[in-house]
Amino acid sequence: MKMKLTKYQQEMLDGKHGECKQFCMDKLVDFGKAVEATEMVDLVLVLNECPIWIKDRRKPETLEKLNMYDLGHSPLYDPIFEMKDAHVEDESGCACGNDPYLIQLDKRGEILGPPTGKPWNFELPGKGSFRLDAEMVAGFKAGYDKLMEHGWLPWHSCNPYFNTRIPKMGEYAASSESSAACYINTILGARTNRESAVNTVYCAYTGCLPKYGTHLDEYRAAKCIVELDDEVRNNIKGMADWGALGACIAEKAENRIMAVLNLPKKMGPGATKNLISCASPGMNDPILHLMGYTPESPTLEAAFKGKMPKNPERYKVTMDDIVEMYRHLNAIAPAPGPEKAKPVDIVFFGCPHCTFEEVREVARLVKGKKVKPGVHLWVQTDTPSYFMAQHYGDAKIIEEAGGHIYHQTCIAMTPIRHYPKGTTIATDSFKYVKLGGGFGPNWIYGNPEALVNAAVTGVFTPTARWEYWSQPREKRLASEKERPLYDGGVPMLS
Amino acid sequence: MEQKIVLTGIARSKGKAAGEALVNRQRIGWAFNHVGNEDGMVLAPGTDMKGQIVTGKIFVYPTTAGSTSGAVSLYYKCKVSQHGPAGLICREVHWIDISGAIAGEIPAVDKLDQDPIETIKTGDWVEIDAPEVGAKATVTITRKE
Repeated sequence: MKMKLTKYQQEMLDGKHGECKQFCMDKLVDFGKAVEATEMVDLVLVLNECPIWIKDRRKPETLEKLNMYDLGHSPLYDPIFEMKDAHVEDESGCACGNDPYLIQLDKRGEILGPPTGKPWNFELPGKGSFRLDAEMVAGFKAGYDKLMEHGWLPWHSCNPYFNTRIPKMGEYAASSESSAACYINTILGARTNRESAVNTVYCAYTGCLPKYGTHLDEYRAAKCIVELDDEVRNNIKGMADWGALGACIAEKAENRIMAVLNLPKKMGPGATKNLISCASPGMNDPILHLMGYTPESPTLEAAFKGKMPKNPERYKVTMDDIVEMYRHLNAIAPAPGPEKAKPVDIVFFGCPHCTFEEVREVARLVKGKKVKPGVHLWVQTDTPSYFMAQHYGDAKIIEEAGGHIYHQTCIAMTPIRHYPKGTTIATDSFKYVKLGGGFGPNWIYGNPEALVNAAVTGVFTPTARWEYWSQPREKRLASEKERPLYDGGVPMLS
Repeated sequence: MEQKIVLTGIARSKGKAAGEALVNRQRIGWAFNHVGNEDGMVLAPGTDMKGQIVTGKIFVYPTTAGSTSGAVSLYYKCKVSQHGPAGLICREVHWIDISGAIAGEIPAVDKLDQDPIETIKTGDWVEIDAPEVGAKATVTITRKE
């Protein structure tokens, strides 16, 4: 099947707009054949990954390091970096930027200097240390500089859709960041696949992409319904709960797109971001029809794209499911130690990057306290929130407590396989426990208050709230008879 | 005694390949956190093939899971670090893996006339012949009895 191209797309393919655009169009047209696309979409946003640019990447000792550090995308840029006419800022009007990567660029001196405790050079008493490799850091800076020359925007975050380039309904994007893809589809109503990180390189330089997958209604339609129990709707609290809820919804739907009913009324950006970030580890299609939130789904009929069966398959999420999800996540690579006092080495927030409200929550929880010596508290966020936190004092609170707040980078982009043996990492990121669970460290999944407490005391202790919800259901319900749960009906304080 | 089974399916990425089969019943992706770029070792927790090396093998699995960087990591393992699989057989090759296989220049096949997860056994010798994307591909399984 031949793909229909616009005049401009055809001209790019014919080489009339330079070598780079022709090279990239060739690759996209090839991919279009494989997915049987009949036309291209015009993109407003490309979200990709900055490369490590090293001229002689095949040199054995360099290759060995790249094998540890490179996600695999960097060599794809090599031919493009050789082309004199490579540029992304052009008449296509497509904003291109990247996920967080190896380092915080404006603190590069601290990374390359002696260990300061800044991510990512750190020591864990009795376990060893980790240092980023200077050649890889230099390669990342070289790749970054080259992209800036090419007109990429320096957002370096998984969340540019919050504040930097916000696609709207009817527009198309190419996001190789899964959580961004899911947010763009689910909350903003624009259309993107969880785009292959090979394609996004070529998308950036052409501003287009074969129309396929989640661009099309047939791959956006709900296939089943997942309904939250009232108990869940009323009691989800804390960023880890939202992550666990997203994970439960994805698990119930078994990798199918679902319509979600009975959601809480006011889910803020942190809640929705954590809920939808189940898309990469929990489900392949980057869209959930969150009824009441998803713009293209004002009704169930619309969520099913007009093909709702008479009795769609229906699943329920209960608080017991949420509790089970916590247990599952804490059992992937279980941390050693007593059940109520598991020692931690690193506590991190922000995968995907923290929203400003999440940064503030950590600051509120850690205010006036001190992180235990030898333990690391890391808060990773996007650039706007980072500087808001500097301006409004939240960053100072976190730093004074002995924690670190940073932007442009992410723990997930460091070679975690090479962290000291036996490292225990505690987080509220479902996405990263699930994706990073096989890397070697031990993982703890918990809510912010328990995590900050762990950073301060050095041991993870579940909260009283966990103690309550993790009891067997009958016991819990019996205790509710004696002390009924607050149902939101009357003010708690008179 | 040898048993031969011939299946036909659709090529999603073209090429010819032969190797020993590794059959993984769970969804799995090719990102560096699922299969190491530096050694081709399966790292993904809860998978049948955890700890196995994929290098030069025909990897059989239902479809992808996890990160979109599976595309670039698959390409990298095949073309740069030389720890990639020789070919992919899926119930459905996901778009992410199609793109990685094309860039990595290895064949990827799906929509076989029998379920590959049930039909192929780990250790079988498998040959893939996938001459053209979107066209018929042949998978020949040789099993020592």
